[in-house]
Amino acid sequence: MNSIHDDDVDALLRQSFDGPTSDAGFCDRVMQQLPPRRRSSAWPLAAGVLIGAVLCSLSLFNSPLWRAVWHGWLAGEWSSSTIIMLSTMAGLSVLALGWTLAEADDH
Amino acid sequence: MTCVADCAAEARIDRTLVARALLGHDRRAFEQLMRRHQGMVRAQLRRLLHGDEAAADDLAQETFLLAWRKLDQFRSEARFSTWLHRIAYACFLQACRTKSWAARHAQEDGMEQLPAPTQAMDLQLDLAHAMRHLSTAEQTVLLHSVQLGLSHEEAAYVLAMPLGTVKTHATRGKAKLKTWLSAWHAATGEERVP
Repeated sequence: MNSIHDDDVDALLRQSFDGPTSDAGFCDRVMQQLPPRRRSSAWPLAAGVLIGAVLCSLSLFNSPLWRAVWHGWLAGEWSSSTIIMLSTMAGLSVLALGWTLAEADDH
Repeated sequence: MTCVADCAAEARIDRTLVARALLGHDRRAFEQLMRRHQGMVRAQLRRLLHGDEAAADDLAQETFLLAWRKLDQFRSEARFSTWLHRIAYACFLQACRTKSWAARHAQEDGMEQLPAPTQAMDLQLDLAHAMRHLSTAEQTVLLHSVQLGLSHEEAAYVLAMPLGTVKTHATRGKAKLKTWLSAWHAATGEERVP
């Protein structure tokens, strides 16, 4: 019944659209209104890292495992607890590095 | 294929400019972004505001100021242009809720709720007339998915509508336009549709 097809309607609609509006000073006007960007302060992140590190150290120093690792490390003895602890720390560091790189890539 | 490659290249340029604007607080990078996209954003708003150029430019300015403030919230999952269209549409909805513009145009739209055109007229005028008889949602979906060249998924993102709803509005809108324009087509008896 209809001799007009979907593609024809699309073409007609596109034809009736004027396309992008010319600048005519618009960007210059907006740039004059643009407020300065607020720089996000780094101190909350630094404070968080510092507090986290202090709390982590306090809890680890009371741990017998950590003491065993520390004494083994100072004596140059590679006990199984030393290797496990160092491997865990290395693994977590690699994970943190991967996460940082992924976040940087997103931005 | 070329279009896909071009679109990907354009998206990469946008992402680079966004990164420069964010990391170095580079106003020139944001200005470049604005120069690249202001034309389509203003065209979108002019259509939404039925040709009210001053109101459209006010909303476009608001859109870019908002984009500047919220630039760190831009995620590359959508194209930068699509993200801008979404902000522009949100500004338009906000303006409709708060300003007298909507009431004035609602009155005008009410006056235009006449029967669909059946007489032979110039095709473009006929199309413009027919468009006004579509529901607001159908007009808005056709504007974004056909005239602005967004995919259905992108239109759904911009309009904050479910994808199925966007497809339904697009199909219904086109079906109505076909029916109404067929009357013109039959009356002229000429093949004037490109």
